[in-house]
Formats: sequence, C-alpha cells, structure tokens
Amino acid sequence: MSRDLVTIKGGKDGFRLLVDSSASMEEIEAEIKKKLDENPGFFPEGTKFELEVADLDRSVKKGINQILSQHGLGVELSAKKDPPPVSDEQSQMPPQYFIQHDGNVEAQEMTVVEHTVRGGEEVTSQGSVLVMGNVNPGAQIIAGGSIDVRGTCRGMVHAGAWGDISAVVIADRLMPTQIRIANMIARSPDIMEKSDFAERASIKDGQIIIEPIER
Amino acid sequence: MSEVIVVTSGKGGVGKSTTTANLGVGLAMRGKKVVLIDTDTGLRNLDLLLGLENRIMYDLIDVVEGRVEIKKALVRHKKYENLQLLPTSQVKDKSAVNPADLMALCDELRKEYDFVIIDCPAGIEQGFQTAIAGADTAIVVTMPEVSAVRDADKIIGELGRSEKDNIKLIINRIRPAMVDSGEMMDMDDINDILAIKCIGQVPDDIKVVTSANRGEPVVGESDSQAGKAYENIVGRLLGEDIPFMEFEKEGFFKRLKKAFKF
Repeated sequence: MSRDLVTIKGGKDGFRLLVDSSASMEEIEAEIKKKLDENPGFFPEGTKFELEVADLDRSVKKGINQILSQHGLGVELSAKKDPPPVSDEQSQMPPQYFIQHDGNVEAQEMTVVEHTVRGGEEVTSQGSVLVMGNVNPGAQIIAGGSIDVRGTCRGMVHAGAWGDISAVVIADRLMPTQIRIANMIARSPDIMEKSDFAERASIKDGQIIIEPIER
Repeated sequence: MSEVIVVTSGKGGVGKSTTTANLGVGLAMRGKKVVLIDTDTGLRNLDLLLGLENRIMYDLIDVVEGRVEIKKALVRHKKYENLQLLPTSQVKDKSAVNPADLMALCDELRKEYDFVIIDCPAGIEQGFQTAIAGADTAIVVTMPEVSAVRDADKIIGELGRSEKDNIKLIINRIRPAMVDSGEMMDMDDINDILAIKCIGQVPDDIKVVTSANRGEPVVGESDSQAGKAYENIVGRLLGEDIPFMEFEKEGFFKRLKKAFKF
C-alpha cells in the first residue's frame, strides 16, 4: 500500500486523524485499531474527539465513533458547519476527514521561525516547524512533525525526529545537505543541482523520496 | 553623527585588518576624523599595515586598566593627521579587555571622532564579543570560498543574537577569472546565502600584499583595482550611490569581441 488510509497528525489545535474516504469501513476500523494499539495509553481515556465533517457517510461516522468509544475515546461534532472551499488542486486529491484531539494534553505545536536560520543555529521543536526564510548550510532543524521552508533549504533537516514516518519536508528550493525523516537519512548528491521549484520529501515504500509540488 | 563600526569575519585571513586599514585611510583622505582600534590582543598587526609599529608608546590594555589617558595611547598616522590608531598589546591576551571596557571607550571616542573602526579578532569567542560590544554597524568581510562564507553566515547569526542589526558585507579577494570559469563562488551565490547588504567587492590584488609590507594601505592608488574598490566602499559608507565596478579580467579586444557577439 503506497499510502496510509488513516494517519494521525498533530495540528495547530491538537491531533488530527486523516481518513481516506475511498477506504471501506472495515479497512478504516482495522487501521484505527492498529494505530491506537501502536501507542497504547497515548490518548487519555475519556477524551472527546472533534470530528470535522464534509460529506462523510452517517454509518461511517457512527462506525468511527464506535471504534473510538471501545478505546475509551469519543467523537464530537465540529462547530464548523461547512468545509473550507476546495480549490482545483485540492479537489484532485482524495478528500480527507479530520478527527481532532479535544484536550491539549498532547497537543502538537507549530514553531514559526520568522527569519533565516544561519549556520550554527539549531531549531528544535516537538511539533512542526515553519521557516519564513532560508535554512543556510550548517544550520539544523529538528522537528517532531513536518518542516516547511519558505525559501531555500541548504542545511540539515530532520522531520518526524521522534519516529513520525508520515512527516514531510517541504521547501521552495530543497537542496539540503541531509534530509532525515524519522529514522531514515538521505544525503544530498555530491554535486548539488539548483532546483527551481518547490519540492516535498517524504517516506514512500521505505525510502525517502523527493517530488515536485505546486504552491 | 559619528559611527562606531566593527570589522569582523569569523574566519581568519580574509582581510579584516587590511579592510580596517584601508577604510581608515580612505575616510581620513576624505577629511573625516577617524580612529582605528585593534582588538586582536596578542596578535596585533593593524599597526604593521599602517606602518606605525615604531611609534607605539602605550596600548589598549594600558587605557582600559587606567594607566594612561586615551589621548596618550593614540598613534597619529604619518600622512593623515586626522587618522589615529589605538594599538593593542602584543604580550597580553584577549581576557585583558572586557565588553564593558570597550563600550565605554567607544562612547568616549565617539565624542571626538567621525568614525571609530574596530578591527575584530578571528573567531566567535570572547575577543569577538568584546570587539562588537560598542559597535553601531558591523562590516562582515568574507571571501568567495565555502568555508569563509560559512563562517560569515555564523558571524551574522551571532551579531543578530547580540542585537547588532546593521550589518554590511564586503566580499574580498575575488578572482574574476576564476569566478567566470565557475571555479569560484560568484557574487550572487554569496549574496543569496548571506542575504545582507553588500557594500563592496574587492578583487584579489598583488598590490595589497606589497603595500602591506610597505605599511601603506592600497586605497587611493589609482593603478590598483583593490585600491579603487576600497575607495568605492569609503564612498558608500559616506552614503554615496556608487555602482560596483567591473573587474578587468580580459584584454580590451576580447571584451570588444564579447560585446559584439551579444
């Protein structure tokens, strides 16, 4: 399987659970169970989840609620009535649904760095990191979640540093000395090419791959 | 309006002292009152570049330890009497001066001089922290070389952490022919990484070495490319808008040929 049907991600306000709508109820159930069993005790018992709803089938919604309640967790309907308007690019992607962790016990934060990270500097965050500038050679970014560089990334970046293999690294020009995601390491080619478009590095089929993206 | 400028680089050998000497003489030639402070205690050589070694009576350490008045320790330049040098000690080390001492000294000198230019030691340790303490402006000197650019980047970060936000860049010892053939980093690459205002591009010039040995900075020598580049930097420091010079790297006919090709 090239991508997970269910992904747990930390968002600005807490954890999100991304569900592929093309998956069947059985698949979702198996996947959620697997995820929750991987990290027993990760979510405190009795925590209510917030569920953002687009056009999720009522039975699927119910099913998710049931699975979660078996684990002592709950689902809460989101205050948001309508999903945000979907742009053309987004509509080509399979729709995704989010379950948000209600409490902020394990809430993941995003660190925003509003300047260029220069050589010798190190940014470490339990959550994701957004750099509004360049990451220069000799600099290090270590994030529990994903890393987004709005500029040129030439330093060392480590996304998912505590084992999150779904973490990604995105940069306007991605030319780092090393990319690490979870426990995988990819180094730059010895002769660095200048990239002219935004790229994303992620783990696919057990290795770090880099693909162009639009943004 | 007087200005305290620190000339720094991180890496050694990129031309901090040479730049300090040339800017000092260049500003003095323009009639400004300038004092140069060597803070590279234990490894002093700004006096050598200015040809003033034999005139040194007292030094920076004597001043900060209160043995002499600042005025007594200043060494006047042979040619330009509005240029003074405050040398440092060759026998003591960097721990002899602390940031507060230098800050007080800069504030004292600021009253009387248009420009106080501090020659910073290499490295990012105590000597560096001391040198930058009293400065309004930092000039980072680098070379088109990966290690020099890497160190300059680190230094800019350190300056930012010390709340020195007015940082300017001089790229020194450029070899235009090597840049053209792709063997040396080009100016755009360096500016792209360091992303601070560049106020000077100085070519590698044999005259810099010969003039250093004579103790006469190259600035103002009309037949020297580096001398011209330093003159331009002086102009830019005084707020003039001077375009970067084209380096003479090929014969006239070759350039003419090139011009017609495009």
